[in-house]
Amino acid sequence: MEVLDGSPNHAVSRYVEWLITVVVLFNCSAVILDSIPEVHADYKDFFHELEFWSVMFFTLEYVLRVWSLGAKFSKEEGGAWRGRRGYMFSPFGLIDFFATMPFYMHVFFPSLDLRILRVLRLLRILKLSKYNTALQDLFAAVHSERRAFGSAAFLLLIVTIVSASLMHFAEGHEQPEAFGSIPHAIYWSIVTITSGYGNVEPVTKAGEVIALLTGFLGVCMAAIMTGIVASAFSNQMSRKKAAFQSQLRKVFEDGVVSDAEKDSLKRLQSQYRLSDAQVQAMMDEMNPNKKD
Amino acid sequence: MSATSLSTYARLQKRTYEILDGSVADRSSRVCEIFIALLVVANVVSIILESVHSLHEAFEYEFHIFDTFSVVVFSIEYVLRVWSYGAKYTHAAQEKGSAWKGRKEYLFSVFGLVDFFSTVPFYLQLLFPGADLRVLRMFRLLRIFKLSRYNSAMEDMFEAIKSERDSFSSALFLLLISCLLFSSLIYIIEGHDQPEVFRSIPAAMHWFILTIIAGWGNVDPVTYLGTVLVVVTQILAIALAAILTGVVATAYTAQVQRRESLYEMEVREVLADGVVTEEEQLKLKALQAKFGMSNEQVEAIALQVQAEKAAKDAS
Repeated sequence: MEVLDGSPNHAVSRYVEWLITVVVLFNCSAVILDSIPEVHADYKDFFHELEFWSVMFFTLEYVLRVWSLGAKFSKEEGGAWRGRRGYMFSPFGLIDFFATMPFYMHVFFPSLDLRILRVLRLLRILKLSKYNTALQDLFAAVHSERRAFGSAAFLLLIVTIVSASLMHFAEGHEQPEAFGSIPHAIYWSIVTITSGYGNVEPVTKAGEVIALLTGFLGVCMAAIMTGIVASAFSNQMSRKKAAFQSQLRKVFEDGVVSDAEKDSLKRLQSQYRLSDAQVQAMMDEMNPNKKD
Repeated sequence: MSATSLSTYARLQKRTYEILDGSVADRSSRVCEIFIALLVVANVVSIILESVHSLHEAFEYEFHIFDTFSVVVFSIEYVLRVWSYGAKYTHAAQEKGSAWKGRKEYLFSVFGLVDFFSTVPFYLQLLFPGADLRVLRMFRLLRIFKLSRYNSAMEDMFEAIKSERDSFSSALFLLLISCLLFSSLIYIIEGHDQPEVFRSIPAAMHWFILTIIAGWGNVDPVTYLGTVLVVVTQILAIALAAILTGVVATAYTAQVQRRESLYEMEVREVLADGVVTEEEQLKLKALQAKFGMSNEQVEAIALQVQAEKAAKDAS
């Protein structure tokens, strides 16, 4: 379990990580290349072989994971199946499952649409996200600001509906093919908000003003979204720093830094991905406090 | 004033106020909130669908019934709100005219005006059947803003932006100045060569704003000087977007930090006497909910305050 989960940083688990990453990347390039008709015609057999062996490989990985994650919790904590269930229904578990299963589906039901199976094969690239902690940071940051995102989305919705309706009222008679109904106009206003330019030019003066305002609000919406993400990131960083600092304080409390404490600090540092310089600065800040 | 001395009328008024205002978060006020929000959403959807010609013809009667129904509901809501907001300042109920203080406040607030103008057009239509339908529909669209009453995150956003209004106005000022300058310049440079596009300074302003928003203003310059001007405008557009983004980001970060320090102060106060009573715990919980802070954030703050306190006690 430790090898696959990668929680303690062993050399073996590092190798396994690398191996899986390489196979996944190789697979995705194969799927993309396979979609070019000429390449497909020339290397059909090779792609078939590759697909077969990588499915075998991923199946082995999946089975090993399910089997070994039984060791995650001891008997008292819920037994072997708790860890297994936890994995199987986690996003990663589902990805592992759905990225591998299409091959078997194809074997059992040969008449299925091949294109859907290919798309499902591309799911394999998501397996890489397991090894990307920065991605998890990103999700955590966005999650912590989800209220702000929600209100930004609400604002976007209001801007879209209001601008589309106003445009419909202003230009519905002049350009019925583009603004004949509000749903039509909604398409126009989304295009205007995202790109600044609508797919149709307004012909009335009122329409022109509405178009300019909509475009400008689009720029503002982009600014708001970007601003929220930026602030979410910087807040997350300062939160991590604070957590690390309180841990440091605890370590320094008794005046001695044992090896075990050093280890746990190191692990925390790599988990929070703080640089050595940052940690050093925090320690320096802490030490004079300790002396007096 | 004790509850017993209130008449049934006053009690009813107060209760209605509590339900409609949502300040007391109990079940009936939540149900009322959800009902109105759903009705507003249904209204907006129906306005959108009604504009599709074929749907309008097929379901004209149903649309009409639904609109009448929602106008009746919104009118009742409006009347109840005006009536019950008289109970907002109960402590001064003895004084004459104090009931109208809360009412006036509501009537002229943004929400009050939205409530009024999103409902009244229907009655106008009854009185003057010849009025332009498009204008009436536009007013009906105002109903969508009734929703913003229930979105507290939106208030946060406006609050954050308001606290940085100096930066925003300077960004807008920059935009205005460059708009005047660049559109006059392009009018002077290209006005002769492309009279159909840059025939006047206002027309050139239209071009400028398009360039700022979309990066391309519908026309290509024909002179060398004009090309330089267009390129500079486009770079300015990028800079302006960056400035706006930066200001929003700072505003948000500052708001979160302000809240964290407010919360920290509260925690410090609670911990000052060494005991945490149930009441204090509830207060902290309410503050956490109001600021939308996560549990881990709160824990980190509490830990820090505790550690500081321990260090102080030791020294």
